[in-house]
Parts: sequence; C-alpha cells; structure tokens
Amino acid sequence: MSVTYIDAIHQAQLELLREDKTVFLYGQDIGDFGGAFKATKGFKEEFGPRVLDAPISEDAMIGMAVGAAINGMRPIVEMQFADFSSVAFNQLVNQAGTHYYRTGIPIPITVRMPCGGTPGSGPFHSQMVESIYAHYPGLVVVTPATVSDAYQLLKESVQLDDPVIFCEHKFLYRWLKSASIKGDGLPLGKARLTRAGKHATVVTYSAMVHEAVRAADRLAEEGWEIEVVDLRSVKPLDIDTVLASVARTGRLLALGEGFPWGGVTAEVVSRVVAEGFHLLDAPPLRLNAKDTPIPYHPDLWAAHRPTPESIVEKLRELLNL
Amino acid sequence: MPQVPIIMPQLGESIAEARIVRLLIAVGDTVVVDQEIIEVETNKATMGVTTLCGGTITELRGEEGEDYAVGTLLGILEASEEEIERTGSPVLGEREEETEKKFSKEEENLHFRSNDSSYEEPVLIEPSVRGLPVPAGVKGAHYISPRMRARMDELGLQAADISAIAGSGAGGRVTVEDLEKFLDYIQGWPRSSASPMRLAVADAMRRSWSRPFASVGLPIPMDKLLEYRSRQNPKPGLTLYVLRAFAIALSEEPTTAGFLIGDKVVHPRAFDLGVAVQVEDGVMVPVLRNVDQHRVSELAREYVELVNAGRERRLTPEQTSGGIATVTNFGTFGLKWGTPIPLPNETLILGLAAGIKTPKWSDEVGAFIPVTETELCLTFDHRVVDGGGAGMLLQRVGQLLQEPEKL
Repeated sequence: MSVTYIDAIHQAQLELLREDKTVFLYGQDIGDFGGAFKATKGFKEEFGPRVLDAPISEDAMIGMAVGAAINGMRPIVEMQFADFSSVAFNQLVNQAGTHYYRTGIPIPITVRMPCGGTPGSGPFHSQMVESIYAHYPGLVVVTPATVSDAYQLLKESVQLDDPVIFCEHKFLYRWLKSASIKGDGLPLGKARLTRAGKHATVVTYSAMVHEAVRAADRLAEEGWEIEVVDLRSVKPLDIDTVLASVARTGRLLALGEGFPWGGVTAEVVSRVVAEGFHLLDAPPLRLNAKDTPIPYHPDLWAAHRPTPESIVEKLRELLNL
Repeated sequence: MPQVPIIMPQLGESIAEARIVRLLIAVGDTVVVDQEIIEVETNKATMGVTTLCGGTITELRGEEGEDYAVGTLLGILEASEEEIERTGSPVLGEREEETEKKFSKEEENLHFRSNDSSYEEPVLIEPSVRGLPVPAGVKGAHYISPRMRARMDELGLQAADISAIAGSGAGGRVTVEDLEKFLDYIQGWPRSSASPMRLAVADAMRRSWSRPFASVGLPIPMDKLLEYRSRQNPKPGLTLYVLRAFAIALSEEPTTAGFLIGDKVVHPRAFDLGVAVQVEDGVMVPVLRNVDQHRVSELAREYVELVNAGRERRLTPEQTSGGIATVTNFGTFGLKWGTPIPLPNETLILGLAAGIKTPKWSDEVGAFIPVTETELCLTFDHRVVDGGGAGMLLQRVGQLLQEPEKL
C-alpha cells in the first residue's frame, strides 16, 4: 500500500492535531469540504472546532493566526494556493517574521503553501513563493521533495517556535508515491544527497529534485555521473552539504522552478562562489523558469519550467565549460 | 555567359573578416583581369580585392562600411568562355553543384542548415575557415579554473610547470584529472630536489617572462680595450668596462631603461647596474651604484668585492637590490651569442660573448688583419624599447668601448 505526498501531509496534520491540543487548522473550505486538495479531509468530524473555515481574506487568516500564536496556540494555516499568500504579505513578513525580535514572544505558526505548477493552472495557481519569503528574516522556509519529507518536515515545522512557510508542491500531491511514510530521519535544516555522482552537482529542491534525477538518469547512459542535492529547506540553507558536493564534482548547476531574477538559485550560486571558489572547475550555472507570467497552455507551461530535457541541455553546457 | 564570383579573399593568416572601405566599380562596369575593384580594410592593413578574370560586373552584394567574412560572395562578373579558360577562373554554376553535393553528404553535421525549402539561401561559395583566429572566449590551454589553481597551489605548482600536459578539457584546457594523470606518469622517474637557489632563479625568470622580449646583437672590435686593459695594474675586469659604457649610454637615453607601468614610463632614479655572477646551481646579481658617475678605476675595487661576495654567496639584500639593468658575461663559457632574460624588475640585460679572433679587411693596410671581435647581445622589453632604440644603444656602448681610456 503506497502513500502519496498529499497523504503524508494529511497524516502529519492528523497526528499533530491528536498529539498537541494547541494545534488547530485554519483555512478556506478546509472544514466540511476537506480543503481544495483534500489535505484536511475528515478532520472536521474528529476535531470539530479545531478545524476552522476562514473567510476569503488571507490577510485576516494570518493576522488571526499570529494573534492565536501570541496566546500560546500552534496554528496551521492552509493557503488555498501559495499565489494568494501575497495578500497576507504584510502579516507574514512584518508581523510574524519580526514578532519575536520585537517582543520576545515566538510565533509558532505554520503556513501551508500549495505551490508550483501543474498543467493548465496558469499565472495565479502555479507560482513558487520560497524565494520571496526566504528573503525576509524571521521566517523558516521548507520545501519538501519526498513523501517522507512532506510528513516529517511538516511535523517538525509545527513543533518549531518560528513561523514556517511550508511550500508543498501541488504537482507532487498525487503523482509522488512511496512505500512508506517514514524517512531517514534527517532533521529540518539538513540537505540530502539524493543521488551520488562525480562530474557535476545539481542543487535543487521541491519537485525539481525529481526532474533533476530524471536528467541525471539520461546523462548516466552516456557515462556522466551527476550528483543531486535536495535542499529540503531553502532557509536555513545547508551550504555545508552543498559545498561538500561541489568539492567532489567541481561543477554546480543551481536548479529551481521559481522565476530567474534573484531567488534561491542565485543565493546558492552566490554562496558557493563566495565560500567555495577554489572548488569550482567551471562557472556555476543556474536554471529556472522563464521570466514571464506562467502560461496556461500545457505546452507553453512545459516550455516555461525546467524539464529533464532542458536540465540535460544545461548540464551538457556545464560539463563542457 | 558564365558567371565568375568576386569573393572576400584570405587577406592574412589570422584574418577572419574584413570591412569594405570603398567599392571602386559599379554594376555594368567592364573590368580586366587582376583589376583592383574593392578596397577592404582589416585590423592590420588596407588591401584590394582583385578580379579573377576580365568581364562585366553584373551583381554587387558587398556594401561599403560593412564587414564580411573571408569567402563571402561580394559580387558576380560575367566573362566569356575564352577569358575563363585563359585565366582558369572558377565559375559559379560548377561550384554550386559541387557544394550542394557536399552539403547533402554532411547534412547531419550542419544542423544549423534548415531543410525547409520555402526559403533557401543561395549557397554559392562555402566560407573559408582557413586561418580563422581563435574565437574570443575559448578558454584554451592557458585557462586555469579556480579548482585547478587550488590543486596547483596545494602541490606548489606554477603554470609553467604544467606546460608539458596536453589538456583534454573544453577548449583544450588542462583539467585536474589531466594533472593527476601526468603526476602519476612521472611518478617513477628519477628526480632530485631543486635547490633554493634554483627555485629563486626559476621564480625570477618565470615572473620576468610575462613580458614580450626581443634580442639584438652587435659585433664590436675589442682590440683597443684589451690592449688598454693589459697595461693597467691591477687589471679591472672586462665586464666592468662594459658596465661603465652601458651606464653612460643609458644615462644619455634614460627612457631606454624605463619601466612601463600602466600608461606611464617610469624612469630610472640612478644608474645602478647589476652584474651576473655564476654560482653553483644559480646566478647572483650584485649591483654597482651610480656607474655613470664613477670611472672604471674608481669602481674597480668595489666591483671585485661584489663579485667575490657573489661567488661566495654572502651578498646582502641591499647589495642585490635596486639595479636598473644587468650585464652578463657569458663569453667566459666560450659562447658566441645568447639571449639572456632580464630580471623581473629590469627592462634590459646586456650579454657579453666570447672574444674571437677573426680576419677583417683593412683599407688602411690593404690586407686582412686579425681583429678580436665580440658580440654584444641586448635583450629588451619590446613594450618599452624598439629594435631601433636597442640598436642605437648597442652602437653607443660599442663606440664608448673604443675609447677605454675615457671610461
């Protein structure tokens, strides 16, 4: 019996609700409807008032959660789509992110952000948000790529006293399956070596981990051994694991599904250049989505985001530098 | 009538393209064979494109002020069958068939060539790739990646140390793997540790060699100097006379010994000259101060002391610093000429070769007479000095050495 990525998120919330009385869920249509992606299905029956339907105001949702956290609660807020969290931007970065610094009172909220592209979702239902939130101090930004990470990192996020932006990838919800929900127990803050190699390192996170592995499989047929590092959380960024990998391979491709201007991939390249210049055998490269709104049409969408084909192409460029 | 191409010719070894400065003909003009019809300019020179045969210009594709790759079809002229036969000129029709055949065979490699038949660019002449310069941005054997640099630092290697390795990396660059393979390869070879002196010379020469050097030589008669010197007691070293003449000549033209730093030529502050002293496994260069202001007789004692101190390798840093040029007497090894390398902090080095007795025709005597001749060899930084300046400097040194009593 296999577990999907969304099952893992469902299971983690179920356990959190059962284990900790201060945990409650808040989001649009998460009660009787069970959430837009059914991540909270059946919770209303078991937990009643601890599963609260929210008005269509992301600003109000986060504001209420921050208030509850001040009073000792551990709210999990479900954004219907990560794209709409921009409406709550002020509450997230100005209130939640700075509260502990200002008052000494922690804000243990976890905001679940269904992010990333699926075919036909277009500009408002496909975006990646990890880069903008990682920019602000005071927020932890988690980007699980595997079923067990979705489960374990969500549980750790809720237990953490800092506000956490939990970026769960919609494409992985039902596509990604695993035999077990239990992982290797790697804690939040540590990156994982998903695939070992010696010719180049791909540093990535979230759904792109799987695209990178597929690209590495193709290049393996030609004898290239590509190492893939899954960051798991983009903030904190486990630069030690990244540098150790670049030390082995000498070449870096930073891969992300977000837009190309700045962001996590730029941060990875910048850190590696600054701290590991002597390890580099070639200029580090980046591959991101295109610098345009995300298109609706599945063909255009496929051309917009990195794919195994475009990753292979970029890796070839890197290997020939 | 057959059509003859007008092509941008190969204008030089490293010329990939040229700019049309002026079209000297127009469509409809009648031309003769070898007539200059287009004036083109490269980064090296202005040249003319000439006709392959006589005829009438029927088409001009090249425009003034535009750049065209070598081999580009700039125009077409029509010529009679007889003219083509007489000059052996290529004709467009034939070439077209030839090149088309070639392309279909190599189609797979020419992935940039579209199979789309809706618009087909007429392929008449295949651009020549002969003599193309290395494209900008190619790393080449001289590119050393930060990683490679770090590994070399770890091993204490310099770029010159890995010149033996043919790189297998992109653009022929040497990779860390190439380096490791090479080190494995020489692992079993006999070896010895280089002495600190050897390493010091190696370091100085390597640093120095980053500059464009040129060498010139001038044979000079030595008889007057040898005769004069033999009458002195004690006899000053022959090299000292050359040092003195060199210092005087330099003081007359101080920029010759100048240093090019950015857009400034830095002139010498004083004419302090070094003298190369061969020691075991290396060279020491003690420096004699203000050689232009003291006569040989005044310098003789200090010169001997410095040379002896050099041989015994007990020179102080002060005694070896501040030189602006060096004299090296490799004639003591019987060498007839050489191209010595200046020290990294100097622009010039003057070599003194072996004196050799040769017969020279003398108009005065009306017969061949024996003359002891030696070669003065000057190596100079060509950024600072040209062959002419170096030649004049040598001439002056030679001239001064003909009047040893004045030195």
